[in-house]
Amino acid sequence: MTAVGTAPVATPHSIPLRFARDSALIAGRNLRVLRKNPGRLIYPLVQPVVLLVMFVSVFGNLALTGHGGPYREFLIPGIIVENATLTAPTSGLALLRDASSGLADRFRSLPMSRASVLIGRLLTDAIIFAAQAALLIGAGYAFGFRIGGRPLAALAIVAAVVAFGLAFAALSAWLGLLINDPETAERVLFFPAIALAFVSSAFAPVSLLAGWMQPIARVNPVSATCAVIRALASGGPVGFPLLELGCWVVGLFLVPGVLAVRRWQANA
Amino acid sequence: MRKSFGQVAALDGVDLVVAPGSLTALLGPNGAGKTTLVRIIATLSRPDAGRVRVLGLDVATQGAQVRARIGLTGQYAGLEEALSGWDNLVLIGRLAGLRRRTAQARAAELASAFGLDKAIKRLVRTYSGGMRRRLDLAASLMARPGLLVLDEPTTGLDPGSRQQLWAVLAELRAEGTTMLLTTQYLEEADRFADLVHVLNHGRVIASGTAADLKSRSGMASLDAAFLALTGAGGRA
Repeated sequence: MTAVGTAPVATPHSIPLRFARDSALIAGRNLRVLRKNPGRLIYPLVQPVVLLVMFVSVFGNLALTGHGGPYREFLIPGIIVENATLTAPTSGLALLRDASSGLADRFRSLPMSRASVLIGRLLTDAIIFAAQAALLIGAGYAFGFRIGGRPLAALAIVAAVVAFGLAFAALSAWLGLLINDPETAERVLFFPAIALAFVSSAFAPVSLLAGWMQPIARVNPVSATCAVIRALASGGPVGFPLLELGCWVVGLFLVPGVLAVRRWQANA
Repeated sequence: MRKSFGQVAALDGVDLVVAPGSLTALLGPNGAGKTTLVRIIATLSRPDAGRVRVLGLDVATQGAQVRARIGLTGQYAGLEEALSGWDNLVLIGRLAGLRRRTAQARAAELASAFGLDKAIKRLVRTYSGGMRRRLDLAASLMARPGLLVLDEPTTGLDPGSRQQLWAVLAELRAEGTTMLLTTQYLEEADRFADLVHVLNHGRVIASGTAADLKSRSGMASLDAAFLALTGAGGRA
């Protein structure tokens, strides 16, 4: 038997460095899991493209009252944001699966930064949201979706989707840990995501929605993100929707994000 | 030390010492407080009252330092099933603070010591129960812990796998690693533990060597001594 010994051989790191290192290690582990189990990429990367193709093929030629261009130009940004909304709950589910397995006790018994499990998860999801948005922009291009007006507008759209997706991922992480049962969370987390995607300007201008939906749709971050993408794509003014999106992102990170970290620690 | 969950007192004034270099067994019927005690020692839970010192460090105020010096093998394998055994060991070693090369060298050492060389690059989900347990124990040893905490490490294993695991634990003890374990198999405590503490209703009701407990209760086996001490109809 190889000597186990008792002298610690761990390398000491400062707290911020440790936090960054541990978060990167957790993100690396999540990515390695995806690489070794590529079937897990079907939901976040393949299904959205299929949905875009189906939606645009079925509804893309509808006329839309009050919107200047073809409906598909309006619809494609909505589908991009809808998919980010529906992907965000997978963050909460993945974190909850970790929390409910023996791996959680393993992580909590290590001298690692405890917040790094959540931050590592969000780093992984940032890559998934970015890849998803890039794929959808590419697929949308095949259906006539064009980004003009500003240099680097495509990158700005990807960044907006990533920021929105991560904010919702932080919310889903908190809700998932609060529900604390993977099977229940699987059924519960997607329901509000679907509702948020529909009660918004993702598929129709707010003025065409049912009366009771309009006040919710106006303040819905899904609507703000759609407006940012449409403005970036058309070269229109982006200031107000960007500010609105920024407020939601900061708010969701500060409240549910912090609560999710606390919840993870409280389970210890 | 005290710990309650609502109205239920899981630990009701536990006071014990684990000697350096010893293998100490915690026995008790289901619900006696063994896992609660182990979780507090491993910094996974906080006591409501009392102090716990691990290798001279206070678990309440020096949790990070305690975690840097302990290894935990819990009741459920702390492994990522969707990764290989190798990836698990290296990840856990790196999260324990080891540099990549040190973690890789240590993973290779432990894979060999635990007889997992051939399977180490396979996904953990393809492992047998015994292999998972050995990998889990290897993961707990990545950073050379001063105290190894084992919560029912052999539960659910077939006799062959239990024997293999105990061979490894016996070698660890021979090397001077301090170990605290809970077990449902009293014959394991009888054969291997230097000291046995019997918990019942959150209290230590008897402590001593297995031989002490047997002679004190006038019983020939630790099983019989345990039943006499706890009045339990079941096993630990």
